[in-house]
Amino acid sequence: MEATCLACLALGTAADGNAVSTVRFLKKSQLSDGGWPAFQGDSEGAWTTALALCALTALNEISDASDKALRWLLGSRGKEGHWLWRWKFKTVDRNVRFDPDKFGWPWISGSASWVIPTAFSIIAIKQFTACNRSEASEKRIHLGVDMLLDRACIDGGWNSGNSVVYGVPLRAHIEATAIALLALQDERRSELIQRSLEWLKKEAARVDSASSLAWCILSLFVYQESIEALKNRLVTIIGDGRDIRNNATLATVLLALKCGEMIHPFVVLR
Amino acid sequence: MKLDRRRFLASSGGVAATAGMTAEWAWPKHSVSYRRPRSAVAVLNADEYSEKIEALLLNGLQLFRLRVLGRSVLLKPNLVEDLPGPVNTNSALIGAAARCFLRLGAARIVIGEGPGHQRDTELVVQTAGLRPHLSERQIEFVDLNRDELRKVKLKANYSGLGELWLPRSVLDVDFVVSMPKVKTHHWAGVTLSLKNMFGIVPGMKYGWPKNPLHWSGIHESILDICATVPIHFVIADAITAMEGNGPLQGNARQLGKIVLADDPVAADATCARLMGFDPLRVRHLSAGCHFLGNLREDRIRMLAEGVGAPTRPFSVLPEFCYLLAAKS
Repeated sequence: MEATCLACLALGTAADGNAVSTVRFLKKSQLSDGGWPAFQGDSEGAWTTALALCALTALNEISDASDKALRWLLGSRGKEGHWLWRWKFKTVDRNVRFDPDKFGWPWISGSASWVIPTAFSIIAIKQFTACNRSEASEKRIHLGVDMLLDRACIDGGWNSGNSVVYGVPLRAHIEATAIALLALQDERRSELIQRSLEWLKKEAARVDSASSLAWCILSLFVYQESIEALKNRLVTIIGDGRDIRNNATLATVLLALKCGEMIHPFVVLR
Repeated sequence: MKLDRRRFLASSGGVAATAGMTAEWAWPKHSVSYRRPRSAVAVLNADEYSEKIEALLLNGLQLFRLRVLGRSVLLKPNLVEDLPGPVNTNSALIGAAARCFLRLGAARIVIGEGPGHQRDTELVVQTAGLRPHLSERQIEFVDLNRDELRKVKLKANYSGLGELWLPRSVLDVDFVVSMPKVKTHHWAGVTLSLKNMFGIVPGMKYGWPKNPLHWSGIHESILDICATVPIHFVIADAITAMEGNGPLQGNARQLGKIVLADDPVAADATCARLMGFDPLRVRHLSAGCHFLGNLREDRIRMLAEGVGAPTRPFSVLPEFCYLLAAKS
């Protein structure tokens, strides 16, 4: 589902038939509760619901499917969002430093909040409710943003979910940082966001992996940073593309290379 | 006798292990047993990661009667993050293992891993230095986080998960080799060949990290996964191991060993002893020894050298002091 949604965003409405068939596929794969599974054949809603909503929004497919997806996202939360777990993490389980009152979205239900699903969910809700904000959606966005800010690494950027474990600071990940920054693009440019942006710029200049570099480009672009040199390097890294083994990476690379030539798929206009 | 905190924790650990063993005997939670009368382990001396490893490893593998002729072999290393230090199974050892199995007649080698935290698997593969070892035609790398999946009913029920989606590349292979990095682990105590199998669980379904496994119990999930996907052989990287706050932020510990075994419990029990731990105090080993393999020393035949006690045990977080073996 991830690959399909990213490919849909990369191809956009360039080929009409393609967009129509993608929308049909997305609608058909939506679960009755409004979520999308991680892959076809699974019956459980997952983080890919946020990507599917982004894809439908990008294709201007505002329908019942999108409303149901929004409701699913508003109802989904990390397991630490339950009062019992919040109490546990505040009192007896303090090995991981975080504020359990600030929760986001899990990869799948029954697990805690993590940075990437939270960031994608924030982007999806911000995009879809840009013209029809509600108290519920604003509240959920706000809580998700607070969660991201709470989980940021000490030196800037984001790890997969936590910043300090057993008193030791964790190192940021490129992809998580890039996607978290996309989710925070319209928030007040705090010192933390600025520090994370600087960290990402530094990493982008030296990373040699196609997926991570592509996410750097997509993120730095919305912060008006120069990306041309990074795009050239990405072209060199991928060569003829034969070494890219999964379609999600392929689509992300395509999105990065088209950055500036099309409407950014994760831009938030509010 | 004065009962200090360490003794109290050690005694509690012992009582808990005994209680667990009794419950396990009365109400088994597994539908399979891979335990044989005797298992074989070889501890090889290797001071560094060099070109000599391949010959050493081949000699070591030839001590076992491995049936890999014409079969597909999955090497499951422990590639966790793009971090420096002894975080990942060393690529020289992985490459050497792949070439050794080809020399022993394997038809195809799949190196498969689904890193737990880092979504960009290629970044981990690059940082680990594995790319140059993938140039041979019969050696391929599969990102298990994004492989095609099949739903599988678990053959043990410690975690309550019941079933898992697992990668086709793992389920279809003939011979599974777990290649852990010998490390302490801040949630599980140790991460060895059994814990290493967390990496076959696909991130695409369960996320990065595979958090549902944590919520269902790390030890319990390890037992269920290893009951469902049996490990046929272990090559443990204990040349440079990790102690302290593992598996990511611990300190390097030079052991200079490679541990080979035809039984994952025997392998992990041996590694635990090399670390100065009592394997019975590792929960997934004390339960796993009833059906996944042999833990007791009298059931383990040492093919090469014996397991000497370390000059000093591996350092652990205070929460895991109970793992330390009593001084003889």
